[in-house]
Amino acid sequence: MTKHEGDAAEGARFGDALRAPARLLTRSSTARALLPLALVLLLGCVFSGQGAFFEWQTHRALLREISVHGILACGMTVVIVTSGIDLSVGSVLALSAVVFALLTLHRGWSAPVAILWVLASGTLAGVASGLLVAWARVQAFIVTLAMMVFARGLAKQLSGGQKVSHYFAGADGQFVSVPEPLFFGMLDRKVLGGNVSVVTLVFLGCALLTWVVLERQRLGRYLFAVGGNFEAARLSGVPVAGTLVFAYALSGFFAAVAGICQAVQETQGDPETGLGYELDAIAMVVLGGTSLSGGRGGVGLTLIGALTLGYLQKVLSLNAYSTELRLMLTGAILVAAVLFQRRLVASSDSG
Amino acid sequence: MQFGATTALSEVSIAFEPGEVHVLAGANGAGKSTLIKILSGAYPSYRGEIRVAGRPRRLSSPAVARALGIATIHQELSLVPSLSIAENMQLSLTGSALGLRSRARERAFAARVLSLVGLALDPDTRVERLSLGERQLLEIARALAQDANVLILDEPSSALSEPERLRLFSEVERAVQRGAAVLYISHRMEEIYRLGQRISVLCDGALVLTRLASELDRAELLRAMLGSARPELGAARPLSRSAGEKAVLEVRGLCAGQAARVEGVSFTLGAGEVLGLAGLDGSGPSVLLRALVGEAKLTAGEISVLGQRYLPTGPGRALGRGVAFLPADRKASIFEELSVVKNASLSALGRFTRRGFVDRARELRAVSELSARVRLKAPSLTSSARALSGGNQQKLALARCLLAGPSVLALEDPTRGVDAASKLDVYAAMADALRAGLGILLYSSELEELMALCDRVLVFFEGRVVSLLTKPEIGRERLLAAMMGAP
Ligand SMILES: Nc1ncnc2c1ncn2[C@@H]1O[C@H](COP(=O)(O)OP(=O)(O)OP(=O)(O)O)[C@@H](O)[C@H]1O
Ligand SMILES: [Mg+2]
Repeated sequence: MTKHEGDAAEGARFGDALRAPARLLTRSSTARALLPLALVLLLGCVFSGQGAFFEWQTHRALLREISVHGILACGMTVVIVTSGIDLSVGSVLALSAVVFALLTLHRGWSAPVAILWVLASGTLAGVASGLLVAWARVQAFIVTLAMMVFARGLAKQLSGGQKVSHYFAGADGQFVSVPEPLFFGMLDRKVLGGNVSVVTLVFLGCALLTWVVLERQRLGRYLFAVGGNFEAARLSGVPVAGTLVFAYALSGFFAAVAGICQAVQETQGDPETGLGYELDAIAMVVLGGTSLSGGRGGVGLTLIGALTLGYLQKVLSLNAYSTELRLMLTGAILVAAVLFQRRLVASSDSG
Repeated sequence: MQFGATTALSEVSIAFEPGEVHVLAGANGAGKSTLIKILSGAYPSYRGEIRVAGRPRRLSSPAVARALGIATIHQELSLVPSLSIAENMQLSLTGSALGLRSRARERAFAARVLSLVGLALDPDTRVERLSLGERQLLEIARALAQDANVLILDEPSSALSEPERLRLFSEVERAVQRGAAVLYISHRMEEIYRLGQRISVLCDGALVLTRLASELDRAELLRAMLGSARPELGAARPLSRSAGEKAVLEVRGLCAGQAARVEGVSFTLGAGEVLGLAGLDGSGPSVLLRALVGEAKLTAGEISVLGQRYLPTGPGRALGRGVAFLPADRKASIFEELSVVKNASLSALGRFTRRGFVDRARELRAVSELSARVRLKAPSLTSSARALSGGNQQKLALARCLLAGPSVLALEDPTRGVDAASKLDVYAAMADALRAGLGILLYSSELEELMALCDRVLVFFEGRVVSLLTKPEIGRERLLAAMMGAP
């Protein structure tokens, strides 16, 4: 058996010349995440919906539209980094929206107190999932699926199956209409010369918080360690159970934040809201390049993924595709993007 | 072969003859495993030409290599932990045409293969329940059973104890007599000369020499491997000073474990001491080490650390009490996705953290200091641990334990796969920690290591301590006899 290394054929040398810059582009995960985004933006420029794509207003609206999903995606990133999944975020969002509307509109609580309660209850839901995952060692998929159903049921129970709005039957059975609290207007306002809505700022704040935790704090190291190699993390003295509980608690907390934003934007607490939002959040995380097998990724990538998904849907809707077609195309493009990224990873690892 | 900017292997031309053991030697990160992975079809994007039995072939996948009669044991074991032994055996074979499986046939086959390497195990046992040594034997058996023309073994003996290793040697010799070409990688001198008819040396990805074993003496081999003559392991002085007055760890009448267990173990570990543990696979040392961090169930006995009663409840709490544990299996110690820095500092983060935030400058300084000390070879400190060679990953795992700054280090084969020169660097780093008052419990499958480092060695047989050897008695024959149960 004989073997020659470096006996390169001409063709291979020619390929090398092209490969070097390509490798530079694909080495960093950020660059890999930006490629699909660039592609979608390019599509937007070509199929601009009679120039609508070039109007600032379109982009402003887009930022506002992805914000609530984006907030969920921040928590989802943290959970996925630990190689888990949180399917309950959409339902916890609905529950939080209902509770927030009930407290502020029907009970007349002041907004800050109501916010504290809602955030606490969302976190609690997350802690419950986390405890089941960490101590009872039930699979995250099952635990959060159960939480998803439970929270939806609770939201319906509390709201009596009705949308909770400022027009409702009081204790004496008479319908009353209360004025919308000031806070609703505040959170839905646009700032910075009317260009950015406050909800978008909340989203960016959540992303920043997530970034600090993941990249700068000890807890972040633990999250990556647990997701990368659970057994090794345990043996190196990482408090694995606490770390897992934290991940789900943070996800629940962000779901509550998103629920409040949703209630404010809809000026009501709808127990049916947030249906399927967990899937959008997962899609944003995965499009960014965070791997579902855990241990790598980051919230910066999720930010890019959120923009990619948002622009994809924007471009499709600008070009007046029907909802049915839009869904099918989104699904297909999602798979294509992930396959594409995996190819890039493979080619940057070897060869 | 390129990995990003790293050239792992360049311009290597080498021939493997049938009926001959060809040993591949070289320092950690020299490119040995990379060559093996190319030959086994795991890295299809290599450049160059490979001829098998005279015909040029493209080794584009592991299946192709296997079909050409090349059987490989990789450095990192590739068994599926959740499957049974029999099922794992089946994975490497080509199934029947319809993809149907006959359980009885599978089991019979597995039993025959197991007997090849002298493993008395039920073929239905799940692989995750086996010790590292048993897994390694299993993998060896699986490769042997393929009756391949080319048998490639990448550090196959690194987790085996002495008698098991002898068994491996005789099987390798059988394969050679059958006319197979054997490619064997090892860092152990006795092994290289015992088995090898021809020796090739890699250094930084280049082939330095290929010579008949009889024409290459040890000094020259070492020089070729390391680029300079460096002393062999025997030159390492014992690390222990006269066992310190202060005891860091006291164990009285310890019983622990379930299937594999230890009974009635008592000893004292002094500050600055290295206490050796010896024994066959499954005879007790690994249960003892695990029991100390709460990984094996404690049924009786008392432990105290630094004079205080201590009840181990888990590795996290153990670390808090100053007991750190390093498992032999790199799959349980290395985070492939994380960077070198993050791998190394994980157990010591408490020291680098203020108000929850990691002081990254201080962390980087500490890690780069220690990694220079143990001569860690990595593309950079921020590259992922996946990019490190096996021996360097091992150094990284050990660096994490040392950085944690514990009072007791429980080490299970800490230099598995580390080359001879790096070992001395690793020992020097361990000596620093010892001077600071640490105590080390060291299990090693390599008797030379125990002889070189320890003043006292506890020898285990079937879960009990059969003898405590002290310095002048610690010799190869004495150790081996005690390990086999002689009092
Ligand atoms: N996936 C990878 N990405 C980047 N670099 C890599 C990768 N795999 C190996 N390398 C580099 O290639 C070089 C050779 O590695 P290899 O695993 O072949 O060493 P080795 O001779 O087997 O060492 P050891 O004795 O420690 O097992 C090393 O410097 C290593 O850092
Ligand atoms: Mg290797």
